[in-house]
Amino acid sequence: MTLNAWLPVFALMTSLVAALVIFALPEKGYRLRTAVNLGAALVKLGLVVVMVWGVFRGVDYGVSFTMVPGVAFALKADALSMMFATLSAVLWLLTTVYAVGYLEDSPNRSRFFGFFSLCVASTMGIALAGNLFTFFLFYEMLTLSTYPLVVHRGTEKALKAGRTYLIYTLTGGAVLLLAIAWLHGVEGDLPFREGGHFIDADADIHLSLILIFILLVAGLGVKAAVFPLHGWLPQAMVAPAPVSALLHAVAVVKAGAFGIVRVVYNIYGIEASSLLGVLEPLAWLAAFTMLYGSVRALSQVALKRLLAFSTVSQVSYIILGVCLFGPVGAAGGLVHLLHQGIMKITLFFCAGNYAETLGIHRIDDMDGAGRRMPGTSLAFTIGAFGMIGVPPLAGFITKWTLGSGALAANMDWVIAVLVLSSLLNAAYFLPIVHRLWFREPNGSWPRERRWGRLETNAWLFWPPLLTAVMTVVVGVLASLPFSPLSWAELIVLREYSP
Amino acid sequence: MMCPESVLVLLAVCLPLLYPAMALRAEGARAMRYVMPVLPLPALMLALGAEPGWQLELPWLLNGGLWAMDELRRLFLLLTAVLWTVAGIYAVGYLGDHHRRRFCVFWGLTLAGNLGLTVAVDVGSFYSFFALMTFAGYGLVVHEGTDEATYAGRVYLVMAVLGEMAILAGLLLASAAADSQLLTDLPAAVASASQRDLIIALLVAGFGVKAGLPLLHFWLPLAHPVAPTPASAVLSGAMIKAGLLGWLVTLPFGETALPGWGALMIVAGAVAAIGAAVLGVCQRIPKAVLAYSSISQMGLMVLMVGAAMADPGRAPVLFSVIALYALHHGLAKGSLFLSAGVSLPAGIMRRAAVWLLIALPGLSLAGLPFTSGALAKLAMKEGLSEDPLDFALAGYLSPLMTAGAVATLLLVLRYLWTLGGKLENRRNPPMLAAGWLASVGVSLVAFWWMPWEVEGLVKSPVWLPAPYQLWALVWPMLIAVALAGLTLLVARLVKQR
Amino acid sequence: MTLWLMAGLLFTPLAWAVLTLLTDFARGRLVTWGGILVQVLVSLGLWLTVARDGGFYYGLGGWDAPLGIELRVDGLAVTFVLLTAVVASACGWHAGIYIDPDKPWHRYFWPLFWFLWSGLNAVWLGDDLFNLYVGLELISLSAVGLVALGGKASALRASLRYLLAALLGSLAYLLGVALMYGQFGTLSIAGIASWLTEHPVPAGSGLALALMIAGLALKTALFPLHQWLPPAHGIAKSPVSALLSALVVKASFYIAARLWLELGEPLGNLVSAQLVGLLGSAAVVWGSWLACRQLQLKQVVAYSSVAQIGYLFLLFPLTYSVSESVSLQAQQGITLQVISHALAKAAMFLAAGNLILSVGSSRVDALAGVSRFLPFSLFSFGLAGVSLMSLPPSGGFAAKWLLLQASLESGQWWWVLVLLVGGLLSAAYVFRIFRASFLESPESDQFYHPARSLEVIPMILALLALGLGLVSEQVLSVMALPFEVEGSP
Repeated sequence: MTLNAWLPVFALMTSLVAALVIFALPEKGYRLRTAVNLGAALVKLGLVVVMVWGVFRGVDYGVSFTMVPGVAFALKADALSMMFATLSAVLWLLTTVYAVGYLEDSPNRSRFFGFFSLCVASTMGIALAGNLFTFFLFYEMLTLSTYPLVVHRGTEKALKAGRTYLIYTLTGGAVLLLAIAWLHGVEGDLPFREGGHFIDADADIHLSLILIFILLVAGLGVKAAVFPLHGWLPQAMVAPAPVSALLHAVAVVKAGAFGIVRVVYNIYGIEASSLLGVLEPLAWLAAFTMLYGSVRALSQVALKRLLAFSTVSQVSYIILGVCLFGPVGAAGGLVHLLHQGIMKITLFFCAGNYAETLGIHRIDDMDGAGRRMPGTSLAFTIGAFGMIGVPPLAGFITKWTLGSGALAANMDWVIAVLVLSSLLNAAYFLPIVHRLWFREPNGSWPRERRWGRLETNAWLFWPPLLTAVMTVVVGVLASLPFSPLSWAELIVLREYSP
Repeated sequence: MMCPESVLVLLAVCLPLLYPAMALRAEGARAMRYVMPVLPLPALMLALGAEPGWQLELPWLLNGGLWAMDELRRLFLLLTAVLWTVAGIYAVGYLGDHHRRRFCVFWGLTLAGNLGLTVAVDVGSFYSFFALMTFAGYGLVVHEGTDEATYAGRVYLVMAVLGEMAILAGLLLASAAADSQLLTDLPAAVASASQRDLIIALLVAGFGVKAGLPLLHFWLPLAHPVAPTPASAVLSGAMIKAGLLGWLVTLPFGETALPGWGALMIVAGAVAAIGAAVLGVCQRIPKAVLAYSSISQMGLMVLMVGAAMADPGRAPVLFSVIALYALHHGLAKGSLFLSAGVSLPAGIMRRAAVWLLIALPGLSLAGLPFTSGALAKLAMKEGLSEDPLDFALAGYLSPLMTAGAVATLLLVLRYLWTLGGKLENRRNPPMLAAGWLASVGVSLVAFWWMPWEVEGLVKSPVWLPAPYQLWALVWPMLIAVALAGLTLLVARLVKQR
Repeated sequence: MTLWLMAGLLFTPLAWAVLTLLTDFARGRLVTWGGILVQVLVSLGLWLTVARDGGFYYGLGGWDAPLGIELRVDGLAVTFVLLTAVVASACGWHAGIYIDPDKPWHRYFWPLFWFLWSGLNAVWLGDDLFNLYVGLELISLSAVGLVALGGKASALRASLRYLLAALLGSLAYLLGVALMYGQFGTLSIAGIASWLTEHPVPAGSGLALALMIAGLALKTALFPLHQWLPPAHGIAKSPVSALLSALVVKASFYIAARLWLELGEPLGNLVSAQLVGLLGSAAVVWGSWLACRQLQLKQVVAYSSVAQIGYLFLLFPLTYSVSESVSLQAQQGITLQVISHALAKAAMFLAAGNLILSVGSSRVDALAGVSRFLPFSLFSFGLAGVSLMSLPPSGGFAAKWLLLQASLESGQWWWVLVLLVGGLLSAAYVFRIFRASFLESPESDQFYHPARSLEVIPMILALLALGLGLVSEQVLSVMALPFEVEGSP
């Protein structure tokens, strides 16, 4: 096997090895652990960059061997994988930096970072999986490796949230397994292939295919927090901020959405899905979730719960985009995979900063925080505006592309949903922004800590600013090659003309 | 290669955009306010110095950017740059210590948005700058932090967001119909689109929020009085015109006759012109009176927009007139708003001079002969004259214009009256005075020097009022004065009882 | 070469059993470790030989059947031999450190341990019904003895109960054997099978098979005959529990499975096959449910065994009157389930032993905070749990995948529900332990830290169970055509 075949394996192993090394390190080895963490993250980023360049030029990266009789363990890197892999690699680096600062002086750091790396390894595996079976393998690994992160605090509340999380995700996993096994029984081992497999499926298996599709979406929809399977997400907010950030931006929620993308494009094929008539109901469901999440977010008093419901709403943009038959809409959905990640991680970093620095958890307490923490608040503002879809930020590019795609697909009602959802987003984000900058602080902060010259710990200060800058840059420079939008268009080009 | 215009336009947009970065360091934050007048200067140079027709392609920007300049945009850019410059000078003297850094930051951002939207030709950057202006403008509105300001801000924001969304939907539909990301392709596509009426409705409503269309105007009389004076000047003088510009560049003028829409707009304009005057004269706060005056004046412009929609053949002429009127009104109204913040000096002669300078732009609005107002009014009259127009409501336009003129002067008189009770006696800060005087000067004098005779805009007939036209200008003013005098008399009598 | 390997395999356990009988615990430990080394090497050698050359029949002492004892050395048998070597050596190693050498009765641990091992090897390789019975008795008796080593009154009670069940099971089995012999005149399974292909099925022979399988099911603790298992496995020393759960119950199942595969088609019927499957399913659900409700850590693990054993009995319906390929899938799945459960359950019991040692109490709620002090053992427990939950990439998952495929393809979709629900329920009891141990208790208890090697052993086993899924294709290819005699020379 050539080096090309092994690159995906290396990318996967980087975080896996890092996890094992971190587990082995003693709790007190602070510097060494940080070095391992950051080193592995940088190495992975490098590998991903190499692969992105390779995929762009059309190089085939892949490795596969038979695992269980009849099914292969397959890793491969196509344009879609690289999108998710890049997201995972970039945000892992930033989240690691953030987490190092966030967990300063807290117990169980070795365990935390070990599982953290495992979690990222799983997302990498999900990105690079070459067939549904391999995807499922990493999908479940993700479930398991995030559980210790969710319950990290060890409080009753955290454990309860962890239980809810498990009930939802494991059940979803079981349904997914059933669907995959059934599909395997119908058609055998199906590698992810551009254009899908079922374009000329026999009419007599159509019913099974539709049922399997429903099961697949139900299984994946749990992680993607599609209504009514979203119940675990707001509860999981008890996790430490970097975990929530990772959960919402890259790992769990995205894994579900990414899985749906894979199923629609690379298993069924967009045309076959459209023929089977499964896209339109899914689009309606996604649209409903978009609105539902936003409406629920309106009434939240805790910042992180608000962000959680916002995620419920935002992730469905991706699903909606996938359901729009046509290249433009697809690009809109895919690009949101990245955009939502960047924006949401910014918001969660900021929420973590407020909590860590000023002890702010509730929205009521945020009055005037902009003066005390201008950098964080600026990042929060940019993230919030991005979520609303204010141009020229990342969210706008998504909305614009989605809207154009909807019109191209003759689904004009999507425009109304987009507008309504943006209005709702504005309705819950703008008051917070107002509080930050235009209210006077009400007395003292709940629990203030000070670090030298910066408004907060330097490890916490820079990551949100960086992601905020990225939010602006990916929006403003959307037409540059290798921008998320251009990459999404590349994927779509390859999907629609396999 | 980059031509000088490209450098200048990038500088014009990026300078105010990057200006907030000064706030990062303490010494920069202290120096911030002195930089404010400088910010619009590259834009001013661009508007005055560069010939229209250049364009700058920015293929990496959003969905592919294109910035360019034509006659219409040039006028709006000129208005924007001039107004922000004088307001900037004024603000140096005006600003207190209350959150000064924050104010400067939002000032810069709003300015960047306002300048940018006048040069943007692609949908993405136009909408981006529009949104930047809208949201940063919120910071100016609520700056004072009082309860009224917060309330006004909330109304402003709610309506602005609704407007933004309507614009988003409208632009999306229009650009999908045109299959293009350039504003220049939209009107023709909208005219022939299957969802023409929906698109037009969305765009009219969306930009109408900014332009103070009746029923979409609620934020205006709330926001203008509470905003700091220089901010209300630009809000009313320049930002309100952004909505107008939005209409002009997106709606299908000159493509097809839209009698229904034209009639609707004419009715809306009439309601705004007269209704706002009725409401405005009942206000007690000077700046609120001015806000209603803005709505009223915008009503007249909406009238012309409606006429242009109804009669495609007449649209090119009307475009020029609208632009001219917008320029005139923007400068005059800016000056009036700025005058709300000046103080009266000692000495009777000086006082009289100040009062005169306050009143003159107002009278200009009402069409005092030999002011920009007269020019604009006559141009409007010419543009809306009955004969060449061909639609149902054309006959009502002339009386409406006259009524508008009466309403305008009544509002100006009301403004002066309310202001009389508010002005304080003390020295003006020098920069504040300089800014105000500059605005008055620009409105009264510089207006004449501006490049009118450019191709395609005001060409013939000559707009200077001939003697026979004087009476046409003056008699509505006399009616207004008489009405005002009567009201005063009645008020006295009632008080004596 | 093969001769030496076979001799080593069969006689070292017996020889070592006698040797250790003569020594005390500490010296027996040293002796045993030597013996373990020999056994592992021999097993590995035999496995390699079969993997290279294929299986063969081996007449003990050079005498062939029907006079002598004939052994069937095929891929499946040597795989189980190797599995036994791995698990037993891990348990032996662990026990050497874990068990207190000062209690006088502990010196009997080693002889019993070796008798057990030899019995296991006899069962894996045996080919005739009586030899299998002898091996089974050897296993049962030594297992009862090992349970009794717990020493307390409750341990004795549990072991007596175990003994009773084992004897009852043996009795039923023996009765069945007698009936078979009366009908077919041979005790060789292969012989009976070949007789049946040539003659019509005699009336009543189904009863013999049913009796034998019922007896074996009792020994395997199939629901509702499982009552004896949890007390016995729960009360025994951890390494003993590991041995019992991982290997002992598998021995009786192995025999039942072989009987069914060879004779089930002619002698069994659809109803009984489905009934056994139904009992297995009930075991899965009921065992898991009870595991969720146990207060003692080891009881949780023991009830989990009841549940996991339930899966094994799905073999019966999934191989009865189905196509060749489905049957093969089911057999492969069950084989993987046996192996992965053996590894995972041994790991889990050993890790549970460590945890109990550390907190000084066997209660689940005493585990609060242990995640900070004993993360390594807890992690092993968790990895083993992954296999029990049959989540990828573990061997349990590969097994479940194959069983799912078999159920779907044979149209028996109801087993699919059992498989999925069983997985979820097992997650419930595994994560219950985690929930307890992640809880940060306010009072900082004193935790005892067990020796490092005690922690390493379960980790190795758990990793093996986890990695099994990744290489299951290779493992299955070595035991190509399991339960069949194609490999005979």
